[in-house]
Amino acid sequence: MPVGLQNPPSLGVPGKKRWAMVIDLRRCIGCMACVCADKAEYDVPLGVWRTIVKVRNTGKFPNTKRHFMPRLCNHCDNPPCVRNCPTEATYKHEDGFVLQRYERCIACRTCIAACPYNARHVLPRNRDRVKIGGVVDKCTFCNHRVEKGLVPACVQTCLGRSRIFGDLNDPDSEVSRLVARHSVVTLKPEKGTAPQVYYIKPDRVNTEQIFSQPKSYATKSDAAAFYRHNRGSKFFSGVL
Amino acid sequence: MFEYMDFNIAPWGHEIVIYFFLIGAAAMTFVYAAAPAVFGNLFNGAAQSMVPFQKAGMIVALALLLICGPLLIMDLGQPSRFLYPIIYFHWTSPLSWGSLFLPLFGLCIIGFFVGLIKENQRLMRWNGILGSLLALSMPLYTGLDLMVHQSRELWSNPTIPVLFVILSISSGTAVTAVIQLARGQLDEKMVEFLHLFLYVALAVTLALFLAEWVVLNYGSGEKQMAWEVINKNFSFQYWVLTFLVGILVPLVLVATPKLGRNPKILTLAAVLGAVGAFSFREVLIYAGQLPMLYY
Repeated sequence: MPVGLQNPPSLGVPGKKRWAMVIDLRRCIGCMACVCADKAEYDVPLGVWRTIVKVRNTGKFPNTKRHFMPRLCNHCDNPPCVRNCPTEATYKHEDGFVLQRYERCIACRTCIAACPYNARHVLPRNRDRVKIGGVVDKCTFCNHRVEKGLVPACVQTCLGRSRIFGDLNDPDSEVSRLVARHSVVTLKPEKGTAPQVYYIKPDRVNTEQIFSQPKSYATKSDAAAFYRHNRGSKFFSGVL
Repeated sequence: MFEYMDFNIAPWGHEIVIYFFLIGAAAMTFVYAAAPAVFGNLFNGAAQSMVPFQKAGMIVALALLLICGPLLIMDLGQPSRFLYPIIYFHWTSPLSWGSLFLPLFGLCIIGFFVGLIKENQRLMRWNGILGSLLALSMPLYTGLDLMVHQSRELWSNPTIPVLFVILSISSGTAVTAVIQLARGQLDEKMVEFLHLFLYVALAVTLALFLAEWVVLNYGSGEKQMAWEVINKNFSFQYWVLTFLVGILVPLVLVATPKLGRNPKILTLAAVLGAVGAFSFREVLIYAGQLPMLYY
C-alpha cells in the first residue's frame, strides 16, 4: 500500500477517474509539435522542458533507424516525488494527476532527485511574463484543460495522433482499448511507481537504462554553455 | 540535432555535500562534549576524560550548526519559505523530520551550554541525552534522505544512513582532536577515548566501503553503471581521497599500537578520516545522481 500520498491510487477504482496517456510510437514522426505546444501553453523557459522527444539512432548505414521517444511526467499511481516532498507542495489529485502547488514549493529539489523519469525542472527566478519562478515545475497532464473537457495541449497538437489521452477506468475510452489490445510498455516498472504513460512498440534503446552523455559537438558546446551560464545559480552546482 | 533536449540537472550540488559533512561533524562534536554528562561514571568513567572539552565543544557545535542552517536555507530556491517543511509537515519525507530536528538540536546545544555555565547537572544531563539522540538523527536523516530515493540505486541502500553516522564519527573526532591539540589539552585519557571511537569508525567505514564495492559490481545494471560513473568521473575522490587518504592510511595509523595513541598522530589520522568522510559523501551524492541523468 503506497504511503505518503494525499489520495490513494485510483487505477481500477470504481467511480474514480484515472487519467492516462498512450503514446503510439508507430505514429510518432518526431516533429516536436508536442514540445512546442507545451512551451507555448505554459511559457516554458529556455533550457527546461515539460515534455521532450528523445531521438536515438540505431544500426550502421545502410541498416539504420531513427527512434523517437516522447517523454513527460508519468503521473505515477505511486509517485516517489509526492512521498518525498517535505511540504506536500507536490500532491496527488484524486483523478491521478500529480500536481504542484507553487506557493508551497521551497525548491529543495528532493522531487527532482526522486523522479526516475527526469520529468521535473526548476524554473528560473526572474521571468518576463510569468510570475511563477524559483520553484520546481512539471507536466500537469494539462489538468486545467482536462477539467474543461479538453485534451492536453500536446495531445491536441500531435500530428500523427501518436499521443492519446483518456480515462483508463472507463472501459470504452480509447486509451483503455489501446492498453487492452496492444502490448504496451511503461518506463521503469521495476521502480514500483506504477507509471501511467503507456508506450506502444518502443525500442530498447529508449526504454533501457543507459548512461550516454551528448555526443555531437554542437550538443556538447550547447550543454557547456548552458551549465556555464547557470553555474552561478544554486540549482546548477557544477556537478557535471 | 535533437540531443539538446537530453540534458537534465543534477539537483543536489556542493552545498548539500558541505551541509551533510558539517552537520555530521557538529553532531559528533556535541556527542563528545556531552558525553561526561550523559554517561557519568558508566564504562569506568571513560567519558569523564571529555570534561575539558565540554565548553569548547558546545561552542564549536553551535558554530557549525550556525553555518549549516543558513547554508541549507540559501540552497533552497525559496529561502524565505524555510519553515514550510515544519508548517506543512509531511511525515513520509525525511527532509521534514530533519527540518524539525535541526532547530531542536540547536536548542539542546544552547540548553546544555546554559547548564554548563550554571553548573546545573540535571539540565546538562537531560539536554545531553536528548541532544545526543537528536545529534544521532542528523547524519541518520541525511542518509535516509538519500536512501528513500528508490529511483537512484546507489542511494537506495540501507547501509547509507549507517555509513553517514559512522562518517560523522570520523569528522567529529577530527574537530575534537584538532581543538584539544591546539589548546594543549589532548591528554592520555582523552586520546584513549577518541582512539577507540576513531578506530571503530574507520574499521566500519572500510567494511562498508568494501560492501559498497561488492554491491555495485554484483548488482543491477544501474548499480554497475554507478560503479562505472564513479571510476570514470570520480576516480580521484573515490580511490585516492576516500579509500587511500580517508580510510586506509588513518586506519593503519590508529591500528599501530604506540603510534595510534600519540596525540599528534591520532589528530592527523582523524583529519585524514574527515577528508575521507567528506569525499565519500561527495562521491555518493554526485555519482548517485548521474547514472539516470540522461535516461
